[in-house]
Amino acid sequence: MRLQLSLFLSRLAGFLSQKILRRSGETIQGKVLLTLYPNALTTLSKNRSIVLVSGTNGKTSTTRALAQLISQLGTTVTNKTGSNLDRGSATMLMQPSQYAVLEVDELYLPRLIAQTHPRAVLLLNLSRDQLHRMHEVQKVADRWKRAVDSAPDTLFIGDSDDPFVAYALSDAQKKIRVSFGGRRHSDGAVCPSCGIYLRWSGNNFACVCGLTNAHADENRAPGPAAYRNAELANIAGSAVGAKSMTFDIKSFERAVEKNISGIPSSIRLVKNPASWSEALATVKGNNIILILNAREVDGIDTSWLWDVSFDALRGKKIIVCGERAHDIHYRLHVAGIENTQAKSVSAAFAHFAATDNVEVLAAYTAFTQLVSL
Amino acid sequence: MSQLRIIRIHNELLGTYGDQGNAEVLAFRAKHLGIDSIIIDISYDQAIPRDGSIYLLGGAENAAQLLSLEAMKRDNALKDAIADGAVLLAVCAGFQIIGNTFWAGDKKVDGLGLLDIETDAGTDQRCVGDVVAHSSIFNLDLIGFENHAGRTVLGSSTKPFATVTSGFGNGDGKTDGAVQGNVIGTYMHGPVLARTPALADLLIARASTH
Repeated sequence: MRLQLSLFLSRLAGFLSQKILRRSGETIQGKVLLTLYPNALTTLSKNRSIVLVSGTNGKTSTTRALAQLISQLGTTVTNKTGSNLDRGSATMLMQPSQYAVLEVDELYLPRLIAQTHPRAVLLLNLSRDQLHRMHEVQKVADRWKRAVDSAPDTLFIGDSDDPFVAYALSDAQKKIRVSFGGRRHSDGAVCPSCGIYLRWSGNNFACVCGLTNAHADENRAPGPAAYRNAELANIAGSAVGAKSMTFDIKSFERAVEKNISGIPSSIRLVKNPASWSEALATVKGNNIILILNAREVDGIDTSWLWDVSFDALRGKKIIVCGERAHDIHYRLHVAGIENTQAKSVSAAFAHFAATDNVEVLAAYTAFTQLVSL
Repeated sequence: MSQLRIIRIHNELLGTYGDQGNAEVLAFRAKHLGIDSIIIDISYDQAIPRDGSIYLLGGAENAAQLLSLEAMKRDNALKDAIADGAVLLAVCAGFQIIGNTFWAGDKKVDGLGLLDIETDAGTDQRCVGDVVAHSSIFNLDLIGFENHAGRTVLGSSTKPFATVTSGFGNGDGKTDGAVQGNVIGTYMHGPVLARTPALADLLIARASTH
């Protein structure tokens, strides 16, 4: 009874938010529901197969792919908009379905595991991101491990080439460790399990404490993050009973093709050293716009720019803009990569002609703004 | 002068917060000033050279901080170089481990003792955010970003690096960092030399006189 009333009031709040404030109304519904009925996640998860997806990069696109796979099995709800805190999940679970595939923020994952008793959890990767909020990668990994250890009935699927994921999975009762032949991790100098200097041999690690990416349960060929996430989605989908699908790898890069001010543009989301490095490796053309903001969801500090190599951009026409344009301008300038600072995003596009193809790498808030134009 | 030798210590361990950029800014400013320079990266397994001009330590997580300290304790290279007139800029975790003592998790640890400071374990309230400060020693306005739990108390042999206008600094919201001779410690990331390149010039000038 109380749940029904809470659901009604939450929907009403969502409706009013849409009608009056012209917002999506997604977050507010879950927020109201969790305030009125704190146990809502657990109650609404009953009699439903829940699959969670978390990691620093690739959550949204991998969740979308996994939802596509699992929807072959029955009715499926999923958080399409990347609203990935407990509220967003609560909003999704307000709709009845047989399956739910939920993208979950790294810090909220333990809570979602404890409250929704998921059938499976896919762990993609863990690296430096929004340190003003996450503080330390090791601490996030420690929380993940405790959550994994306390869920013996859940199947955990993860990329064990990432030492932090390998550590989180190390004592899982049910797990599928996937290796893509190993790869260096920019935050992987210390063993997350025992704290000693982690010994790497090429792309593979093996610590005396036993933590290693060798002996995985599934092995795949090496490849870029987009490909790895597609493979991981298929492995997780199969584990739940879904038939494998062939995905367009491009759809995992979170790139949007669009005309901005009449200029054909390919806009890509970049938000931390790992995603910048992935994106920079795919830059093909000579016309580049870099947009740097530092609002809460972007990460309020820009120091990490100095941990990214921008060498791939050397010699190209580069325009930098955004609220923290100066930071990225100086970072490139010191590296000897000439670039021009524009006063605004539209001023940046004004440097190009309609015959140019522009590749845009944009911080989260700039990306969402450009894509919704 | 002869070549400016910039020694970046344990970047794989002390590189969580972009502080490696301090070396690049030093080399960039040196070039601008017409001084030949080289950046030398020293990893955990390598011995620290004694003939550096400027040594750099950056921020790190707990376990990495302890590994770096353990490696630096293998010999007296850094201490000897400083006694010989070299400059040391240490940021955040790097600042803490060159002090007398600091806390890593629930363990009190003896640092290198290059700065007369002590750092406690801090409280639940982490010091996170932008810092605005003024250094009267260097006569410079400074900006940076801090993200640390520990609170640092200065001993009688050191002076604060800067007075904080906005932010936590050493934890009391009044001062940031410490200076003792040519050893400079701060909580400011940014990297601090990228945010205030004039400080890089002053460090180069100090190192050049030795």
